[in-house]
Amino acid sequence: MHNIWLIAKREYLERIRTKAFLIATILIPLFMGVFVFGSGYLATRTKSSAKIAIVSTDASFATDLKQELQSGKNSSMRVDLLAPDSPSSSDEIRASLDHNLHDNSGDLTGYLVVTPPVPSSGRPLFTYVPRSAGDISTEDTLSTAIQNVLTREGLTHQGMGSADIAALMTPVKIDTSKTGDSRAAFGAAYLLFFLMYMVIMLYGMNTARSIIEEKTSRVFEVMLSTIKPEEMLAGKILGVGAVGITQVGVWMLAAAILGSTSLATSLIGTGHALISFTQIFFFIAYFIFGFLVYSSIAAALGAMTNSEQELQQLNMFLVIPLAFCFLMIFVIVHAPNSTLAQVVSLIPFCSPLLMNFRISLTSVPPWQIGLSFVLMSLTILAILWVASRIYRVGILMYGKKPNLPEILRWLKYS
Amino acid sequence: MPIVELQHVRKAYDTKIAVADLSFTIEPGSMFGLLGPNGSGKTSSIRMMIGITVPDSGTVELFGQPFNRDLLKRVGYLPEERGLYKKMKVMDQLIFLGQLHGLDAITASKRAHHWCDRLGIIPSIAKKTEELSKGMQQKIQFISTLLHEPDLIIMDEPFSGLDPVNAVLLMDTLVDLRKQGRTILFSTHRMDQVEKICDNICLIHNSHLVLSGSMREIKSRYPVNRVLINFTGDDSFLSHPAIHSAKNYGGHVEIRLNDGADAQSLLADAVRTGARITRFEVMEPTLEEIFIEKVTEGSAGIPAGEKVNA
Repeated sequence: MHNIWLIAKREYLERIRTKAFLIATILIPLFMGVFVFGSGYLATRTKSSAKIAIVSTDASFATDLKQELQSGKNSSMRVDLLAPDSPSSSDEIRASLDHNLHDNSGDLTGYLVVTPPVPSSGRPLFTYVPRSAGDISTEDTLSTAIQNVLTREGLTHQGMGSADIAALMTPVKIDTSKTGDSRAAFGAAYLLFFLMYMVIMLYGMNTARSIIEEKTSRVFEVMLSTIKPEEMLAGKILGVGAVGITQVGVWMLAAAILGSTSLATSLIGTGHALISFTQIFFFIAYFIFGFLVYSSIAAALGAMTNSEQELQQLNMFLVIPLAFCFLMIFVIVHAPNSTLAQVVSLIPFCSPLLMNFRISLTSVPPWQIGLSFVLMSLTILAILWVASRIYRVGILMYGKKPNLPEILRWLKYS
Repeated sequence: MPIVELQHVRKAYDTKIAVADLSFTIEPGSMFGLLGPNGSGKTSSIRMMIGITVPDSGTVELFGQPFNRDLLKRVGYLPEERGLYKKMKVMDQLIFLGQLHGLDAITASKRAHHWCDRLGIIPSIAKKTEELSKGMQQKIQFISTLLHEPDLIIMDEPFSGLDPVNAVLLMDTLVDLRKQGRTILFSTHRMDQVEKICDNICLIHNSHLVLSGSMREIKSRYPVNRVLINFTGDDSFLSHPAIHSAKNYGGHVEIRLNDGADAQSLLADAVRTGARITRFEVMEPTLEEIFIEKVTEGSAGIPAGEKVNA
């Protein structure tokens, strides 16, 4: 145990002193902060502000639509109304608008042509000509606005008062303050999933690299003349893992501080803690175990390879289970308590991500949580046991594949 | 009680036999040289002594007990392929390696400082290992094997890559350690280096033991029939009938005399013919010559079936 502690301590101190650690620790939350606040800020500002022209003979409809587009819920467009007197003047107007669209200095985003219905009771035809064919958002805004105007007109025709219409058209609000904001809960679960995914990926590979370090720098021969390979692997995993926990700890702390600022509450809304205490507890527990599971796989990969290049070829063994978890996340989102969800979340390689995700979304029976930890512990020990054998034999056999009697002799020996 | 005892040790890697039936003992307080050309099985033998690999057959005993890992606390090992943590500072590294050998941090630090002072690397102890020269790193590794004051010091090619000044410094240190009663085993392919400092040697070639025993005893088996002459002037004395063969490197001649011939008459002849002698030495064959002789005469004796690696 003393040796494991020494190895872990060295690994931890050496890694934490590096510039790379400092940079990642500071910059990643900074980027995340900028991203979250930036996108939040942009989301409040992204009303469509395009300038369009409406070509319509129906003046009242055109005015209503203009009103809707200029001051609607999601748009503050600038709108020109053009009313052609005759079909020929309509063609002229369209030609000049086309000219504007083709001209680089033109100010129009697009124009909408409203053709009156042939039997006057039907719907009018709408033709939208955009400057760029990929401009979906303006088209969507237009379609919603037209729908609103048509609905309102229809209701007015039925004899409804404008106050009644306004009341009808108000968006519905669902009160979730008693159970917590489900959108926020889902967002938090998603965030934790990705945080864990990223950290496992990052630190799993770091473990493998640090195991190769002894081989490339040839330190292993000195090390193995004093300690056992399993002590070395265990020390490495714990040391690198402690670095990961330190880093995530700093990030979580930063997130907590950011979350409590007034800017955050103004953007995200008040009243609901984004990440609950239980979520944090399980995140930490599953992070630790997930890290241990994946870094023991990484340790085995590191034990098998002699260089970074060889390692790159094998890192799919880390990626595949993680990718599988990623696919399963969609199953779990829709039915967190389905048999499939229950089974996959118990697979030791998936538990850290998926069980944690399920706990955020639904109430998971305690026996399943307990079982997932037992299975993960067994997996860690089994992988570590095999990895240390691979390490010792792999280092010294110089290309010779170890056979079974040889491995058995090693087991007896160490 | 021998410090190291190998009995009929054999080790094969895949189709290559690294060590075939190797037996020797190392007595306490002696300087033991494990000699042989590159790839002869020196490192493989050493690795089996410190438990990095296990022999396929045969036994290894350390300090009179069958090998077990606890005994390694009394062994200091310098591997042939040196390795240190590149990014670690020198002193941190030494303390870490000392701790792995069971020292506490304070003792390790004290001894590390003492050794750094002795080998003249105090100015480098705050630097990162990768910033140092190779020779410097070698000294650090050397120190790291001695911090826990091992009874048995095993060094695989300790002099390779060192400049003459540092090689002598290292050799003197080893001689000092032997005087303190430590047992030292080292391997080398440079046979001329070990002649003066080894008490006992073991010569291996192609995984096979060629020669072993005390240095003095081995040398005494061979007749004193080598003559070294440094001279200027006439070289016609080289046709003297006592000479079996001679290699003339222009002023420096290595001569092998015929059996029973007297070197004295050769000297007289040389002086008479007008050569100016600056050096005239009569000696036993060097270890290198003995080795070459052994290998060429013995190559017929090694069974063909065992020469898998040829």
